[in-house]
Amino acid sequence: MINIICELSKYFVLIFMALYTIKCFSYFTAKDKKSRDKNLNKQIVYIFLIHFFCYMIMFLRLQQMRILIFYAAQIFVAILYILIFHSIYKDASRLITNNISFLLLVGYIMLTRIDFSLAVKQFAFATAGLIVTSFIPAILLKIKNLKNWSVFYGIAGLALLITVFIPGLGISRYGSRNWIQIGSFTMQPMEFVKILFIFFVAAGLVKAVTLKDIIVNAAIALAFMLVLVLERDLGAMVLFYICYVMMVYLATSRIIFFIGGVGLGAGAIVLGYALFKDTLFSHVMVRVNAWLNPFQYQDSGGYQITQSLFAIGTGGFTGSGLTEGMPYLIPVDESDFIFSAICEELGVIFGLALILIFVSSFIAMTNIAMKCKKPFNKYVTFGIAVCYIFQVLLNIGGVTKFIPSTGVTLPLVSYGVSSVLSTLIMFSVVQYTYIIVNKEADKVEKEKARIRAEVAGE
Amino acid sequence: MKKKKQESAQKLPENEFLKKEREKEEKNKIKNKPIIFTTYVMVFMFLGLFCYIIYFMVVDADRVIANSGNKRQDAFEEKIVRGNIETSDGVVIAETLVDSEGNETRNYPYKDMFAHVVGYNSYGRTGLELSMNFYMLRSNINIFERVKNELREEKNPGDNVISTINYELQKAAYDALGDNNGAVIVIEPDTGKILAMVSKPAYDPNNIDEVWEEVHSEEGSTSTVLLNRAVQGLYAPGSTFKILTLLEYMRENPDYENYSYECTSSGVFNNVSIHCASDRVHGVVDVAQSLAKSCNTSFVNMGVTLDMEKFNNLCEDFMYNSELPYEGTYSRSSFVLDENSDISEIPQTVIGQGKTQITPLHNALIISAIANGGVVMKPYLVDSIENADGAVVKKYKSKSYKSIMEPSEAEILTEYLTEVCTSGTAADYFANVSYSVAGKTGTAEYDNQGNCNSWFIGFSNVDDPDIAVSIVVEDYTSNRTSGVSVAKKIFDAYYN
Repeated sequence: MINIICELSKYFVLIFMALYTIKCFSYFTAKDKKSRDKNLNKQIVYIFLIHFFCYMIMFLRLQQMRILIFYAAQIFVAILYILIFHSIYKDASRLITNNISFLLLVGYIMLTRIDFSLAVKQFAFATAGLIVTSFIPAILLKIKNLKNWSVFYGIAGLALLITVFIPGLGISRYGSRNWIQIGSFTMQPMEFVKILFIFFVAAGLVKAVTLKDIIVNAAIALAFMLVLVLERDLGAMVLFYICYVMMVYLATSRIIFFIGGVGLGAGAIVLGYALFKDTLFSHVMVRVNAWLNPFQYQDSGGYQITQSLFAIGTGGFTGSGLTEGMPYLIPVDESDFIFSAICEELGVIFGLALILIFVSSFIAMTNIAMKCKKPFNKYVTFGIAVCYIFQVLLNIGGVTKFIPSTGVTLPLVSYGVSSVLSTLIMFSVVQYTYIIVNKEADKVEKEKARIRAEVAGE
Repeated sequence: MKKKKQESAQKLPENEFLKKEREKEEKNKIKNKPIIFTTYVMVFMFLGLFCYIIYFMVVDADRVIANSGNKRQDAFEEKIVRGNIETSDGVVIAETLVDSEGNETRNYPYKDMFAHVVGYNSYGRTGLELSMNFYMLRSNINIFERVKNELREEKNPGDNVISTINYELQKAAYDALGDNNGAVIVIEPDTGKILAMVSKPAYDPNNIDEVWEEVHSEEGSTSTVLLNRAVQGLYAPGSTFKILTLLEYMRENPDYENYSYECTSSGVFNNVSIHCASDRVHGVVDVAQSLAKSCNTSFVNMGVTLDMEKFNNLCEDFMYNSELPYEGTYSRSSFVLDENSDISEIPQTVIGQGKTQITPLHNALIISAIANGGVVMKPYLVDSIENADGAVVKKYKSKSYKSIMEPSEAEILTEYLTEVCTSGTAADYFANVSYSVAGKTGTAEYDNQGNCNSWFIGFSNVDDPDIAVSIVVEDYTSNRTSGVSVAKKIFDAYYN
């Protein structure tokens, strides 16, 4: 009997997942605020249904009380977050809060299945993160001259990035020296530096009038990337680079910066490969070889990626069902490779829908950037959108062998305190921009209403 | 929404503030172009990723998850009764027996006869039990039966693997090899189907636990029963290698038909003394007679004239020092002679002694290619997958791997190899048979005391080859069982 219930629930999850995803896109085509709100309310219902069925399956299979308690705690926090955030910020984007809640919940579901204690830890930190980052839009709204602090962003970012080289503080993991440890608490400074980096680039580009300004800005941006190369964190370096190129492209409106930037990046990769393939980037070469020919190295460098492909392939389109697969066979399945674990147990259809949800959040962010008329906020929002979606591309592309794996996390879903907190901060900044946009629009509307009243009064 | 705005903007008189806002709006629209473009680029890349994943699932996934490194296959055992392995003529050679209490045991009715082909289903698995593991743990019986079994919480029967192995040929090869150590591999030259594969000494897979324990004990540490000699055994090719020497000689000397050499049973080449087998004097020989009589001195005489760089290339074309198109564990053959080698190594090497090593599988591919007009077919062991009711689920097709010689060269070699079996070293065995044979014998010394292994590679029905064999019998010096005698028994079994 349990078998049948679990099997059926698996399909319900897929159906609601599909419906949720459709609503993510029909939001953009909705005609007015009313139908958009209707869309968003339905989404919330789907979130809770998906979450409910997933936890029901895990409870029936594992028969542990703690799963039920954990489930209740998550529901409580999710409802409070959605309600309170919107009663404070009436102008914030509800699609973004829905997606934040949903992605976090998907992460909890998978982590509960992989390692209960990690899931609890993630839940605790993410909840704290939700509370703390809720203040960010309010604080930023009070600060008037964010764009004048470029020196601060640059120095703070570089200083934070360099902390990993301080002996006794920085530690190496998976071939990259990009973690710091304070007591038993570890974090990845890069996750927070990327926000400072985006602010720094945006501030620099807003103020830049002469070519010299742009070159100074570029040189410091390059310094960030060089530090990342020294940390052997190539995934992050690529991420920073793409953000930088896109933001320059936006600021200058010249396609040459887009083409030149991407071309230069590709050239640098080829050059770096030729010069340092045996020294600085030896661990990268292992990954590239594993990508080109994973099954030849399936017991060594290709182990991760082949295990990941086995997981995705064996799970199939509809998945093995929660608790029925073997995600623990994939190394770092709780973090970088969580997408494979999701595909294995919840199904490739679920995974594909998840990709679309990430893309819809990205489109929501670029929409906000487009509406924003203040250059600094526009650049920042756009930079965050690019950083976010490119990280998703690096992660999912990496675990599916679409591109070589670079060791970045899947925003909000992967286990990782730094990653979750920094993504929440990024989303809060976007919400802040959206609030500004709406305030400006309100001002215009009010002015129009005033004139209309004047005209009518005459 | 846009329309409405424009309408209201048109109707209303504009003050300074609204004008400024409208200008800002227009400026913003231009400013937004990079964002729109970037969004499209990103969405396009995700579209690529999206399609890639679907492509992977639809096209590649089956092959990927069948990989023996995929431990998830084991989980299927909880829901599926492992399928059978059968020969192409319908004999079950591995099956899972389920007793009344639901305990499963893997049974191999023919004990050690199919040991290395079938492999075993524990200790990490080998053979077809390993390579076909995934397919035997999948059930393709009809959906109603599957649902019925699932509701009853009963296991579904897994699919059966139909191998290319022919029971009669396997039995003939197994019997012909007798108690000797060695290996036999029989291939259908025009398809690459492996019809028989025997390696001795063998083990009984029904008793794999004891075999495993023994092999891993101190006394058993030198045991090679688990080694599949047909694909993993490396042997000096002996005179079977002369085919390659001859081909290279033919390529370098277009007038090879005029070649003539007077064999006096021994000679010194590059300061190395060479003798013909049993000190026989072959007299004046041409290339055909040199091969038929397997005249060592004549071959060394040809061999020392060869361009070693080209010869090395030919050997590598013939898959020495390289991968074989075989999916499964095998050893790589080696040929180390090249233009930088000491010339004193040439005489022994060109007659198949020296450092050259080859597997019976590799030699089978070479002789099959000659039988197949120069084209190597990919050797394969599985013909099809059937569901428990016998309906074909998946059919494996024969594939060509590469052409290693011109059809004309294959034709000439066939002619010469036929002479080996009509007037040469193998003539005695095929004097009164109903079929024609082309092949090459070999006696390869494996130590300095004159102890030899006996080779035969060849194919039957020369005009339209039916089967090709590659046989090595170890310790010919003491057991006197020659490769060619084993070959005859296999051909006899095939044609009777």
